Amino acid sequence: MNKKIRFLLLMTLPILLLAFLAYKGLENSAAYYYTLAEVSAMESSNQKLRLKGKVDQGSVEYIPEVPLLSFALIDGEHRLDVIYEGVLPDNFSHAQEVIVEGQLNQNREFVVSKLMFQCPSKYEEGE
Amino acid sequence: MAMPHIGTVLLYIALVFSIWAVILVLQSKSGARRAAILSVIAVTSVTAVLVRAFLSNDFSLAYVANHSDRQLPLIYKISALWAGQEGSLLLWLLILSGLAVIIHSLPRYRTHRLDLKLSIVVHAVRIFFLMLLLFVTSPFRTLEYVPSNGSGLNPMLQSIGMVVHPPILFLGFSCFLVPFAIVIVKLICRSKSMPWLELSQPWVLFAWTMLTAGIVTGGQWAYTELGWGGYWAWDPVENASLFPWLTATALLHGYVLPPGKQKNLWCSTLIVATFVLTIFGTFLTRSGILDSVHAFTGGLLGWFFLGFLVLLIGFSGYLLIMRRRLLVDETGLSTDAYSWTGKGRMITFSNVILLLILIGVLLGTLAPLLTRLLLSREIALDQGYYNQVAVPLFLVMIVLMGFAPVLDWSGASWRQVGQRLAVPVTAALITLITALIHLEHSLMGLILAIGTFAGCTHLQGFYLYVAENIHDRQPGFLRRLVRRAGAYLAHLGIVVIMVGVAGSSLFNQEVYVTAAAGDSIAIGGYRLEYSGLDVKWGNFDYQVSTTLQVSDAKQHRGEVTVTKTFGQDLRQPATDIGIFSTFREDLYVNLAGWDHEHAQVHVQLFPLVRWIWTGAGLIYLGMVAVMLSQARLWWGKDRSR
Repeated sequence: MNKKIRFLLLMTLPILLLAFLAYKGLENSAAYYYTLAEVSAMESSNQKLRLKGKVDQGSVEYIPEVPLLSFALIDGEHRLDVIYEGVLPDNFSHAQEVIVEGQLNQNREFVVSKLMFQCPSKYEEGE
Repeated sequence: MAMPHIGTVLLYIALVFSIWAVILVLQSKSGARRAAILSVIAVTSVTAVLVRAFLSNDFSLAYVANHSDRQLPLIYKISALWAGQEGSLLLWLLILSGLAVIIHSLPRYRTHRLDLKLSIVVHAVRIFFLMLLLFVTSPFRTLEYVPSNGSGLNPMLQSIGMVVHPPILFLGFSCFLVPFAIVIVKLICRSKSMPWLELSQPWVLFAWTMLTAGIVTGGQWAYTELGWGGYWAWDPVENASLFPWLTATALLHGYVLPPGKQKNLWCSTLIVATFVLTIFGTFLTRSGILDSVHAFTGGLLGWFFLGFLVLLIGFSGYLLIMRRRLLVDETGLSTDAYSWTGKGRMITFSNVILLLILIGVLLGTLAPLLTRLLLSREIALDQGYYNQVAVPLFLVMIVLMGFAPVLDWSGASWRQVGQRLAVPVTAALITLITALIHLEHSLMGLILAIGTFAGCTHLQGFYLYVAENIHDRQPGFLRRLVRRAGAYLAHLGIVVIMVGVAGSSLFNQEVYVTAAAGDSIAIGGYRLEYSGLDVKWGNFDYQVSTTLQVSDAKQHRGEVTVTKTFGQDLRQPATDIGIFSTFREDLYVNLAGWDHEHAQVHVQLFPLVRWIWTGAGLIYLGMVAVMLSQARLWWGKDRSR
């Protein structure tokens, strides 16, 4: 067999392996970016969604016994109730822009599985 | 003249001298070294001015006002220098300037004016950073109204982890510039005689060690400071440091490949790729094009980095492709080493695996960007994707690593390979069966078996090497012994880290309780006794802490304290997580809330976390040994192998 063809064949093997792993990895781990406006029009979701918005500081409630954090996410005129079952992260009080990943439940609350906000390095922006 | 202006003026001076140095080299005039040194002195003075501003609480500087306050302890006033965008770029520039000094002062580089040629590349990068600091994101921006006190350093950054992590990481990133410069100079000058492999290797060894340490210290910081109990989350900024690590790891092993036709071309491609990836990672995390939690603000800086990146890739890619003949080695063909029982083929395979991991992680990190461009909807991938892609590939890589001591450079006979595999394979099988019987996770069984295999081959390999060579000591035996011991130690470190990562992510447990004084919390055979809160008011902060007494079924084991410190604004606390650490497991205690009588205590149990830090320690130790054995490469006097 030609050396070049053999080399190309050999190279396809690892690429196929990677493609297979990546394809398996895509299941259940993809989160789709939506805007609050789009989510406001939804009934509920089966997909994992990611939303960006501002925390309405007045709406933040934390019940440490559960622990349960709830707040309203706002983006322009849209508003969505968000609940997060987990320990209140230290830097949440300074968080303004947050990204939440999760699903919309039947009561139209957004149940967060992953809560992200600008990290310390961007602290200076939170003036 | 006010201090801020002095800083800006010094930056201009540094810029002028750098450009001047480049011009002098290009015109083959003397004085370039002097200009370079003056530029370095200017950068050092800039840093000194900023440090002084922090120490003297000069809040007329926006950077100081935003990252410090009067009450900040001295050590954090210094580390606040790299707590933000501008200062961290300045630190990076300072390190790059240090490299220029080293190149100019090593005798080996001064022969044939090599240092001057290299310095052009180094200065080019320095000029880019100087322009950033002067025109895009100045650390000397002043405030119109000077506040009486600064807004303080984010409590999360007030930790020893954040004092050491950024400088180490930047040192790792920066040192890849010199190998890059060496390749570029070789290609531009069409030099056939330049021993570039030998010249670049010690830099790569050092840079790889620093990069590894940078990644590990970042993980340690996240683990002790962030409170969720993890050390790695496949966040874009973490991935950004992993990209160059993967190519650099491939490169490290590329150097020891037996001479082959493509070896040089492969190594130089990896050198270029590694340096480009350090800049690419910085671009990703600082431009704000990905929604990284760590991202700095975007804007102009992103475009500057993008432009620089395009220039870098275009220029070095062009050189590599058009002048690849300079790197193809027609003479050095050693087919034996690339047979199935030679190390060459195994290293090639592991290089391929590392690149696959790189592509997989790269695609995952870029997924939001790619889907934004290609599909109507932006998609982000979470940890599930990365684990699915990277974990199997890492395991394959560690199996390949386990073969390193089994194979020979010149190709062992199958019989030898069989003999050397007998003990490790048997041990691995016994581990596998035992683990499958006793543990609920079959994956852990597999990982332990792989670890046993790789661990045994290395210990056995070292023993055999010593036994074979101790009696007739060839010249240089000691150096080769130290190098081999170092390499094997680093490999063992990888095995130990693998076991630690597997244990802590597969077998973690947690309890969350609302406790009153006198209550005890049970987790994983431990009992933690809660006896109330301590509240301390300081001058500028107040602390809430609790100390839990830890005991197991037999005896009292010790205590663990978790502290929340609230700064002057009383809003964001800084948590000192309570960690009770043994080689078996870590108890990870956080205080999640409290009222007058109760406290919410979150206790997590992570097995084998300490193995990760221990493994990292083995890697550092191993790399120090390897670097010592290769120390002559810095001077290049003794050229015997």
